[in-house]
Amino acid sequence: MNKITVKICMGTTCFVMGASSLQELVDMVPSRYGDKVEVQGVPCLEFCNARTEARAPYVTVDDRVVMNATVEKVIEEIERKLSNG
Amino acid sequence: MFIDIDCAQEKKYNQNTYGDYFLSKRYPEKGELIAVLSDGLGSGVKANILATMTATMLLKFVEAGTNIKTACEVVMNSLPVCQVRKISYSTFSVVFCNEEGEVKIVEEGNPQFIYISGGKVIEPEFSVIDSDTFKNRHMHVYKLNLKLGDRLVFCSDGVTQAGLGSSHLKLGLRRQGLIEYLLEKIKENPDISSSDLAKFAVRVAINTEPDRKAKDDTSCAVLYYRNPRYALIFTGPPYHQEKDNEYAREFINSKSKKAIAGGTTANLISRELNIPIKCNIAKSAGKLPAVSYMEGVDLVTEGILTLTRTTEYLENGFKGKEKDAAYELMQFLLSSDCIEFMVGAKLNQAHYDPNLPIEIEIRKNIIKKMAKILEDKYIKKVSVRYI
Repeated sequence: MNKITVKICMGTTCFVMGASSLQELVDMVPSRYGDKVEVQGVPCLEFCNARTEARAPYVTVDDRVVMNATVEKVIEEIERKLSNG
Repeated sequence: MFIDIDCAQEKKYNQNTYGDYFLSKRYPEKGELIAVLSDGLGSGVKANILATMTATMLLKFVEAGTNIKTACEVVMNSLPVCQVRKISYSTFSVVFCNEEGEVKIVEEGNPQFIYISGGKVIEPEFSVIDSDTFKNRHMHVYKLNLKLGDRLVFCSDGVTQAGLGSSHLKLGLRRQGLIEYLLEKIKENPDISSSDLAKFAVRVAINTEPDRKAKDDTSCAVLYYRNPRYALIFTGPPYHQEKDNEYAREFINSKSKKAIAGGTTANLISRELNIPIKCNIAKSAGKLPAVSYMEGVDLVTEGILTLTRTTEYLENGFKGKEKDAAYELMQFLLSSDCIEFMVGAKLNQAHYDPNLPIEIEIRKNIIKKMAKILEDKYIKKVSVRYI
Protein backbone atom coordinates (compact mmCIF):
# COMPACT_ATOMS: atom_id res chain seq x y z
CA MET A 1 0.00 0.00 0.00
CA ASN A 2 1.26 3.45 -0.88
CA LYS A 3 2.07 5.88 1.86
CA ILE A 4 -0.56 8.54 2.45
CA THR A 5 0.72 12.12 2.31
CA VAL A 6 -0.98 14.84 4.31
CA LYS A 7 -0.08 18.41 3.33
CA ILE A 8 -0.95 21.30 5.64
CA CYS A 9 -1.04 24.75 4.11
CA MET A 10 1.09 27.21 6.06
CA GLY A 11 0.10 30.22 3.94
CA THR A 12 -1.15 33.42 5.50
CA THR A 13 -4.88 32.85 5.14
CA CYS A 14 -4.81 29.23 6.31
CA PHE A 15 -2.53 30.05 9.20
CA VAL A 16 -4.80 32.74 10.63
CA MET A 17 -7.88 30.58 9.96
CA GLY A 18 -6.57 27.80 12.16
CA ALA A 19 -3.74 25.92 10.43
CA SER A 20 -1.55 26.76 13.41
CA SER A 21 -3.55 24.34 15.53
CA LEU A 22 -3.26 21.65 12.85
CA GLN A 23 0.39 21.32 13.77
CA GLU A 24 -0.77 18.87 16.41
CA LEU A 25 -1.02 16.38 13.55
CA VAL A 26 2.75 16.34 13.25
CA ASP A 27 3.06 14.43 16.51
CA MET A 28 -0.31 12.71 16.52
CA VAL A 29 -0.23 11.05 13.10
CA PRO A 30 3.07 9.13 13.38
CA SER A 31 2.16 7.87 16.84
CA ARG A 32 -1.17 6.61 15.54
CA TYR A 33 -0.33 5.37 12.05
CA GLY A 34 3.45 4.88 12.14
CA ASP A 35 5.02 5.26 8.72
CA LYS A 36 1.80 4.62 6.79
CA VAL A 37 1.01 8.33 6.78
CA GLU A 38 3.37 11.25 6.36
CA VAL A 39 2.56 14.84 7.38
CA GLN A 40 4.20 17.77 5.60
CA GLY A 41 3.86 21.50 5.74
CA VAL A 42 3.75 23.43 2.48
CA PRO A 43 4.31 27.18 2.11
CA CYS A 44 0.94 27.54 0.36
CA LEU A 45 -1.47 25.15 -1.35
CA GLU A 46 -2.84 28.12 -3.30
CA PHE A 47 -6.48 27.18 -2.84
CA CYS A 48 -7.50 30.37 -1.05
CA ASN A 49 -7.05 32.56 -4.10
CA ALA A 50 -8.49 30.05 -6.56
CA ARG A 51 -11.81 29.46 -4.83
CA THR A 52 -14.55 31.98 -4.47
CA GLU A 53 -15.83 30.93 -1.05
CA ALA A 54 -13.54 31.14 1.91
CA ARG A 55 -12.89 27.64 3.19
CA ALA A 56 -9.46 28.00 4.78
CA PRO A 57 -7.60 26.29 6.33
CA TYR A 58 -6.93 23.77 3.59
CA VAL A 59 -5.26 20.40 3.96
CA THR A 60 -4.76 17.73 1.33
CA VAL A 61 -4.81 14.01 2.06
CA ASP A 62 -3.24 12.62 -1.11
CA ASP A 63 -5.53 13.99 -3.82
CA ARG A 64 -8.44 14.87 -1.53
CA VAL A 65 -8.84 18.46 -0.36
CA VAL A 66 -10.10 18.96 3.20
CA MET A 67 -11.70 22.39 3.56
CA ASN A 68 -12.22 24.22 6.85
CA ALA A 69 -9.80 21.64 8.11
CA THR A 70 -9.67 20.59 11.74
CA VAL A 71 -7.63 17.83 13.35
CA GLU A 72 -10.79 15.65 13.49
CA LYS A 73 -11.65 16.19 9.82
CA VAL A 74 -8.13 15.32 8.70
CA ILE A 75 -8.04 12.16 10.86
CA GLU A 76 -11.45 11.18 9.45
CA GLU A 77 -10.12 11.54 5.91
CA ILE A 78 -7.00 9.52 6.74
CA GLU A 79 -9.19 6.77 8.24
CA ARG A 80 -11.35 6.72 5.12
CA LYS A 81 -8.29 6.40 2.90
CA LEU A 82 -6.83 3.63 5.02
CA SER A 83 -10.05 1.63 5.15
CA ASN A 84 -10.58 1.96 1.36
CA GLY A 85 -7.04 0.70 0.86
CA MET B 1 32.18 52.10 -0.89
CA PHE B 2 29.72 51.79 1.92
CA ILE B 3 30.01 54.00 5.00
CA ASP B 4 29.41 51.89 8.09
CA ILE B 5 28.87 54.23 11.03
CA ASP B 6 27.76 53.64 14.59
CA CYS B 7 28.20 54.99 18.08
CA ALA B 8 28.33 53.37 21.50
CA GLN B 9 27.77 55.28 24.71
CA GLU B 10 27.82 54.95 28.45
CA LYS B 11 26.45 57.59 30.75
CA LYS B 12 28.28 58.92 33.76
CA TYR B 13 27.81 56.76 36.81
CA ASN B 14 24.76 57.75 38.84
CA GLN B 15 23.30 59.93 36.09
CA ASN B 16 20.04 59.08 34.45
CA THR B 17 20.75 60.45 31.01
CA TYR B 18 23.64 60.82 28.58
CA GLY B 19 25.65 64.05 28.47
CA ASP B 20 27.14 63.28 25.04
CA TYR B 21 25.03 63.25 21.94
CA PHE B 22 25.63 61.51 18.64
CA LEU B 23 23.64 62.26 15.52
CA SER B 24 24.08 61.01 11.99
CA LYS B 25 22.15 61.33 8.80
CA ARG B 26 22.58 59.60 5.49
CA TYR B 27 21.60 61.15 2.15
CA PRO B 28 21.28 58.07 -0.08
CA GLU B 29 20.52 59.96 -3.31
CA LYS B 30 23.74 61.99 -3.00
CA GLY B 31 25.74 59.20 -1.35
CA GLU B 32 26.63 61.54 1.50
CA LEU B 33 26.59 61.35 5.27
CA ILE B 34 26.84 63.86 8.11
CA ALA B 35 27.61 62.85 11.68
CA VAL B 36 28.10 64.94 14.79
CA LEU B 37 29.39 63.97 18.22
CA SER B 38 28.91 66.61 20.86
CA ASP B 39 29.91 66.60 24.52
CA GLY B 40 27.82 68.88 26.72
CA LEU B 41 29.29 70.64 29.72
CA GLY B 42 28.81 68.75 32.96
CA SER B 43 26.64 65.66 32.99
CA GLY B 44 23.04 64.54 33.25
CA VAL B 45 20.09 66.44 31.85
CA LYS B 46 21.86 69.79 31.47
CA ALA B 47 24.74 68.28 29.49
CA ASN B 48 22.28 66.28 27.44
CA ILE B 49 20.35 69.40 26.41
CA LEU B 50 23.56 71.29 25.54
CA ALA B 51 25.01 68.44 23.52
CA THR B 52 21.72 67.72 21.75
CA MET B 53 21.29 71.38 20.84
CA THR B 54 24.81 71.73 19.48
CA ALA B 55 24.66 68.53 17.44
CA THR B 56 21.21 69.27 16.05
CA MET B 57 22.11 72.84 15.10
CA LEU B 58 25.24 71.72 13.30
CA LEU B 59 23.44 68.98 11.40
CA LYS B 60 20.61 71.28 10.32
CA PHE B 61 23.10 73.95 9.35
CA VAL B 62 25.11 71.66 7.09
CA GLU B 63 21.95 70.05 5.78
CA ALA B 64 20.65 73.45 4.69
CA GLY B 65 23.65 73.75 2.39
CA THR B 66 26.02 75.79 4.53
CA ASN B 67 29.68 74.98 4.09
CA ILE B 68 30.76 72.75 6.98
CA LYS B 69 33.64 75.07 7.93
CA THR B 70 31.38 78.10 8.03
CA ALA B 71 28.69 76.26 9.99
CA CYS B 72 31.19 75.11 12.60
CA GLU B 73 32.74 78.56 12.83
CA VAL B 74 29.36 80.16 13.49
CA VAL B 75 28.59 77.61 16.19
CA MET B 76 32.06 77.95 17.72
CA ASN B 77 31.73 81.72 17.87
CA SER B 78 28.28 81.67 19.33
CA LEU B 79 28.38 78.86 21.91
CA PRO B 80 27.77 80.46 25.28
CA VAL B 81 30.19 80.20 28.20
CA CYS B 82 29.25 78.68 31.53
CA GLN B 83 29.12 81.52 34.06
CA VAL B 84 30.57 79.39 36.83
CA ARG B 85 33.30 77.47 35.06
CA LYS B 86 34.08 79.93 32.28
CA ILE B 87 34.29 77.20 29.65
CA SER B 88 32.21 76.47 26.58
CA TYR B 89 28.82 74.89 26.89
CA SER B 90 29.80 72.05 24.62
CA THR B 91 32.49 70.65 22.36
CA PHE B 92 31.94 68.92 19.04
CA SER B 93 33.31 66.88 16.14
CA VAL B 94 31.58 67.03 12.78
CA VAL B 95 32.23 64.72 9.86
CA PHE B 96 30.85 65.21 6.39
CA CYS B 97 31.72 62.46 3.92
CA ASN B 98 30.68 60.71 0.74
CA GLU B 99 30.87 57.20 -0.70
CA GLU B 100 33.93 58.12 -2.80
CA GLY B 101 35.90 58.51 0.44
CA GLU B 102 36.10 62.31 0.49
CA VAL B 103 35.90 63.36 4.12
CA LYS B 104 35.81 66.74 5.81
CA ILE B 105 36.17 66.90 9.56
CA VAL B 106 35.94 69.80 11.97
CA GLU B 107 36.80 69.40 15.64
CA GLU B 108 36.33 71.86 18.45
CA GLY B 109 37.34 70.77 21.92
CA ASN B 110 36.85 67.01 21.52
CA PRO B 111 39.84 64.64 21.59
CA GLN B 112 41.50 64.36 18.18
CA PHE B 113 39.98 61.55 16.12
CA ILE B 114 42.01 58.46 15.22
CA TYR B 115 42.55 57.65 11.55
CA ILE B 116 43.37 53.99 11.02
CA SER B 117 44.49 52.73 7.61
CA GLY B 118 46.17 49.41 6.81
CA GLY B 119 46.48 48.52 10.50
CA LYS B 120 48.36 51.75 11.28
CA VAL B 121 47.44 55.15 12.62
CA ILE B 122 47.91 58.11 10.32
CA GLU B 123 48.23 61.60 11.78
CA PRO B 124 46.80 63.85 9.06
CA GLU B 125 47.53 67.52 8.55
CA PHE B 126 44.99 70.08 9.59
CA SER B 127 44.43 73.79 9.57
CA VAL B 128 43.52 75.75 12.67
CA ILE B 129 40.81 78.38 12.73
CA ASP B 130 40.72 80.58 15.81
CA SER B 131 37.50 81.92 17.17
CA ASP B 132 36.83 85.63 16.62
CA THR B 133 34.97 85.92 19.87
CA PHE B 134 36.65 83.53 22.29
CA LYS B 135 40.40 83.34 22.76
CA ASN B 136 40.51 79.78 24.00
CA ARG B 137 38.48 78.30 21.17
CA HIS B 138 40.07 76.91 18.01
CA MET B 139 38.79 74.45 15.53
CA HIS B 140 40.81 71.93 13.59
CA VAL B 141 39.80 71.41 9.99
CA TYR B 142 40.77 68.26 8.07
CA LYS B 143 40.30 67.20 4.48
CA LEU B 144 40.98 63.52 3.87
CA ASN B 145 40.62 60.90 1.16
CA LEU B 146 39.82 57.53 2.65
CA LYS B 147 40.26 54.14 1.01
CA LEU B 148 38.40 50.89 1.34
CA GLY B 149 39.03 49.43 4.81
CA ASP B 150 39.94 52.77 6.41
CA ARG B 151 38.41 53.77 9.73
CA LEU B 152 37.91 56.97 11.72
CA VAL B 153 37.35 56.74 15.45
CA PHE B 154 35.84 59.69 17.31
CA CYS B 155 35.40 59.81 21.04
CA SER B 156 34.45 62.09 23.88
CA ASP B 157 37.00 62.88 26.59
CA GLY B 158 35.25 60.31 28.78
CA VAL B 159 37.16 57.67 26.78
CA THR B 160 40.61 59.25 26.67
CA GLN B 161 40.47 60.36 30.32
CA ALA B 162 39.12 57.06 31.62
CA GLY B 163 41.06 55.94 34.69
CA LEU B 164 42.46 59.43 35.26
CA GLY B 165 44.21 59.70 38.60
CA SER B 166 44.18 55.98 39.27
CA SER B 167 47.30 54.39 40.68
CA HIS B 168 48.34 52.62 37.48
CA LEU B 169 47.31 55.31 34.98
CA LYS B 170 47.94 58.74 36.39
CA LEU B 171 46.88 60.48 33.18
CA GLY B 172 44.17 58.03 32.26
CA LEU B 173 43.84 55.86 29.17
CA ARG B 174 44.74 58.76 26.85
CA ARG B 175 44.54 58.72 23.08
CA GLN B 176 47.64 56.57 22.75
CA GLY B 177 46.27 53.97 25.15
CA LEU B 178 43.05 53.74 23.17
CA ILE B 179 45.01 53.44 19.89
CA GLU B 180 46.87 50.39 21.20
CA TYR B 181 43.63 48.64 22.13
CA LEU B 182 41.99 49.54 18.81
CA LEU B 183 44.90 48.32 16.68
CA GLU B 184 45.06 45.08 18.64
CA LYS B 185 41.32 44.52 18.18
CA ILE B 186 41.46 45.27 14.45
CA LYS B 187 44.40 42.91 14.03
CA GLU B 188 42.38 40.20 15.72
CA ASN B 189 39.24 40.94 13.70
CA PRO B 190 40.08 42.95 10.55
CA ASP B 191 36.44 43.20 9.40
CA ILE B 192 34.98 44.27 12.74
CA SER B 193 31.87 46.38 12.27
CA SER B 194 31.66 49.99 13.44
CA SER B 195 29.06 48.99 15.97
CA ASP B 196 31.29 46.32 17.55
CA LEU B 197 34.44 48.46 17.53
CA ALA B 198 32.62 51.40 19.15
CA LYS B 199 31.21 49.10 21.85
CA PHE B 200 34.67 47.68 22.37
CA ALA B 201 36.21 51.14 22.88
CA VAL B 202 33.57 52.11 25.44
CA ARG B 203 34.10 48.81 27.26
CA VAL B 204 37.87 49.42 27.33
CA ALA B 205 37.26 52.86 28.84
CA ILE B 206 34.90 51.54 31.53
CA ASN B 207 37.28 48.70 32.38
CA THR B 208 40.10 51.22 32.79
CA GLU B 209 38.26 52.84 35.69
CA PRO B 210 39.38 51.19 38.94
CA ASP B 211 35.80 50.54 40.05
CA ARG B 212 34.45 50.04 36.49
CA LYS B 213 32.07 52.96 36.82
CA ALA B 214 32.14 55.70 34.18
CA LYS B 215 33.44 58.92 35.73
CA ASP B 216 32.23 60.95 32.77
CA ASP B 217 29.91 60.46 29.81
CA THR B 218 31.76 58.07 27.53
CA SER B 219 31.07 57.89 23.79
CA CYS B 220 32.81 56.43 20.81
CA ALA B 221 31.70 56.74 17.18
CA VAL B 222 33.34 54.72 14.41
CA LEU B 223 33.19 55.34 10.70
CA TYR B 224 34.35 52.49 8.46
CA TYR B 225 34.61 52.37 4.66
CA ARG B 226 33.86 48.89 3.43
CA ASN B 227 32.22 46.94 0.67
CA PRO B 228 28.46 46.99 1.12
CA ARG B 229 26.58 43.83 2.05
CA TYR B 230 23.62 43.42 -0.27
CA ALA B 231 20.32 41.76 0.52
CA LEU B 232 17.40 40.98 -1.76
CA ILE B 233 13.90 40.16 -0.54
CA PHE B 234 11.29 38.80 -2.88
CA THR B 235 7.74 39.10 -1.56
CA GLY B 236 4.45 38.60 -3.37
CA PRO B 237 3.76 37.18 -6.82
CA PRO B 238 4.40 39.53 -9.79
CA TYR B 239 1.40 41.27 -11.33
CA HIS B 240 2.07 39.77 -14.78
CA GLN B 241 2.18 36.04 -14.34
CA GLU B 242 3.98 35.53 -17.66
CA LYS B 243 6.99 37.27 -16.13
CA ASP B 244 7.28 34.84 -13.18
CA ASN B 245 10.16 32.95 -14.74
CA GLU B 246 12.09 36.10 -15.61
CA TYR B 247 11.83 37.44 -12.05
CA ALA B 248 12.60 34.09 -10.46
CA ARG B 249 15.81 33.88 -12.51
CA GLU B 250 16.76 37.42 -11.70
CA PHE B 251 16.27 36.67 -8.01
CA ILE B 252 18.27 33.44 -7.89
CA ASN B 253 21.10 34.83 -10.04
CA SER B 254 21.55 37.88 -7.84
CA LYS B 255 24.81 38.02 -5.89
CA SER B 256 23.00 39.41 -2.81
CA LYS B 257 21.93 37.43 0.22
CA LYS B 258 18.40 36.26 -0.54
CA ALA B 259 15.14 35.96 1.35
CA ILE B 260 11.63 35.05 0.26
CA ALA B 261 8.66 36.26 2.30
CA GLY B 262 5.47 34.59 1.16
CA GLY B 263 4.11 31.09 0.55
CA THR B 264 2.92 31.78 -2.98
CA THR B 265 6.22 33.49 -3.80
CA ALA B 266 8.21 30.52 -2.50
CA ASN B 267 6.05 28.17 -4.59
CA LEU B 268 6.57 30.34 -7.65
CA ILE B 269 10.37 30.24 -7.36
CA SER B 270 10.31 26.54 -6.59
CA ARG B 271 8.10 25.85 -9.63
CA GLU B 272 9.92 28.11 -12.10
CA LEU B 273 13.41 26.97 -11.13
CA ASN B 274 12.61 23.45 -10.04
CA ILE B 275 14.09 23.80 -6.55
CA PRO B 276 12.24 21.83 -3.85
CA ILE B 277 11.04 23.55 -0.65
CA LYS B 278 11.42 21.92 2.71
CA CYS B 279 8.85 23.16 5.17
CA ASN B 280 9.24 22.51 8.85
CA ILE B 281 5.84 22.77 10.48
CA ALA B 282 6.88 21.23 13.77
CA LYS B 283 9.12 24.14 14.63
CA SER B 284 6.56 26.89 14.21
CA ALA B 285 7.26 29.40 16.98
CA GLY B 286 5.58 32.44 18.47
CA LYS B 287 2.30 32.22 16.56
CA LEU B 288 4.02 32.60 13.19
CA PRO B 289 4.56 29.93 10.55
CA ALA B 290 8.09 28.52 10.79
CA VAL B 291 10.82 29.21 8.26
CA SER B 292 11.20 26.90 5.26
CA TYR B 293 14.33 25.89 3.43
CA MET B 294 15.27 26.18 -0.21
CA GLU B 295 18.68 25.65 -1.75
CA GLY B 296 20.31 28.90 -2.84
CA VAL B 297 18.01 31.03 -0.68
CA ASP B 298 19.17 32.17 2.77
CA LEU B 299 15.75 32.55 4.35
CA VAL B 300 12.20 31.53 3.41
CA THR B 301 9.26 32.76 5.51
CA GLU B 302 5.52 33.24 5.28
CA GLY B 303 4.51 36.67 3.92
CA ILE B 304 2.19 39.26 5.45
CA LEU B 305 2.10 38.06 9.08
CA THR B 306 5.88 37.68 9.28
CA LEU B 307 6.54 41.00 7.54
CA THR B 308 4.13 42.78 9.87
CA ARG B 309 5.78 41.24 12.94
CA THR B 310 9.27 42.03 11.61
CA THR B 311 8.26 45.66 11.19
CA GLU B 312 7.06 45.69 14.81
CA TYR B 313 10.39 44.26 15.99
CA LEU B 314 12.33 46.79 13.93
CA GLU B 315 10.26 49.60 15.35
CA ASN B 316 10.06 48.60 19.01
CA GLY B 317 12.83 46.06 19.46
CA PHE B 318 12.55 42.30 19.91
CA LYS B 319 11.16 41.62 23.36
CA GLY B 320 9.92 38.06 22.92
CA LYS B 321 11.57 34.93 24.23
CA GLU B 322 10.97 32.69 21.29
CA LYS B 323 13.04 33.48 18.23
CA ASP B 324 10.39 33.22 15.54
CA ALA B 325 10.57 33.65 11.76
CA ALA B 326 10.15 37.44 12.11
CA TYR B 327 13.20 37.55 14.35
CA GLU B 328 15.17 35.65 11.70
CA LEU B 329 14.02 38.09 9.03
CA MET B 330 14.99 41.04 11.22
CA GLN B 331 18.49 39.61 11.71
CA PHE B 332 18.72 39.04 7.96
CA LEU B 333 17.87 42.70 7.29
CA LEU B 334 20.06 44.19 10.00
CA SER B 335 23.14 42.29 8.86
CA SER B 336 22.94 43.98 5.43
CA ASP B 337 23.71 47.51 4.28
CA CYS B 338 21.87 47.79 0.98
CA ILE B 339 18.46 46.17 0.92
CA GLU B 340 16.37 45.70 -2.18
CA PHE B 341 12.74 44.63 -2.07
CA MET B 342 11.12 43.01 -5.10
CA VAL B 343 7.44 43.42 -4.29
CA GLY B 344 4.95 41.49 -6.40
CA ALA B 345 1.88 43.61 -6.92
CA LYS B 346 -0.64 40.82 -7.45
CA LEU B 347 -3.38 40.80 -4.81
CA ASN B 348 -4.54 37.75 -2.97
CA GLN B 349 -8.30 38.20 -2.75
CA ALA B 350 -8.54 35.81 0.17
CA HIS B 351 -6.62 38.27 2.32
CA TYR B 352 -9.44 40.79 2.05
CA ASP B 353 -12.13 38.46 3.28
CA PRO B 354 -13.81 40.28 6.18
CA ASN B 355 -14.23 36.94 7.96
CA LEU B 356 -10.51 36.63 8.58
CA PRO B 357 -9.94 36.93 12.32
CA ILE B 358 -6.93 39.22 12.00
CA GLU B 359 -6.62 42.42 10.04
CA ILE B 360 -4.21 41.69 7.24
CA GLU B 361 -2.25 44.63 5.96
CA ILE B 362 -1.68 45.43 2.33
CA ARG B 363 1.79 44.22 1.33
CA LYS B 364 2.79 47.50 -0.30
CA ASN B 365 1.99 49.40 2.91
CA ILE B 366 4.00 47.10 5.17
CA ILE B 367 7.01 47.28 2.88
CA LYS B 368 6.72 51.05 2.69
CA LYS B 369 6.67 51.28 6.48
CA MET B 370 9.49 48.76 6.90
CA ALA B 371 11.65 50.56 4.32
CA LYS B 372 11.20 53.86 6.14
CA ILE B 373 12.21 52.37 9.50
CA LEU B 374 15.24 50.66 7.95
CA GLU B 375 16.31 53.96 6.40
CA ASP B 376 15.61 56.29 9.31
CA LYS B 377 16.35 54.18 12.35
CA TYR B 378 18.97 51.78 11.03
CA ILE B 379 20.56 54.01 8.35
CA LYS B 380 20.25 51.32 5.65
CA LYS B 381 20.12 52.00 1.95
CA VAL B 382 16.78 50.68 0.80
CA SER B 383 15.21 50.37 -2.63
CA VAL B 384 11.75 49.05 -3.38
CA ARG B 385 10.72 47.80 -6.79
CA TYR B 386 7.14 46.86 -7.57
CA ILE B 387 6.84 44.09 -10.10
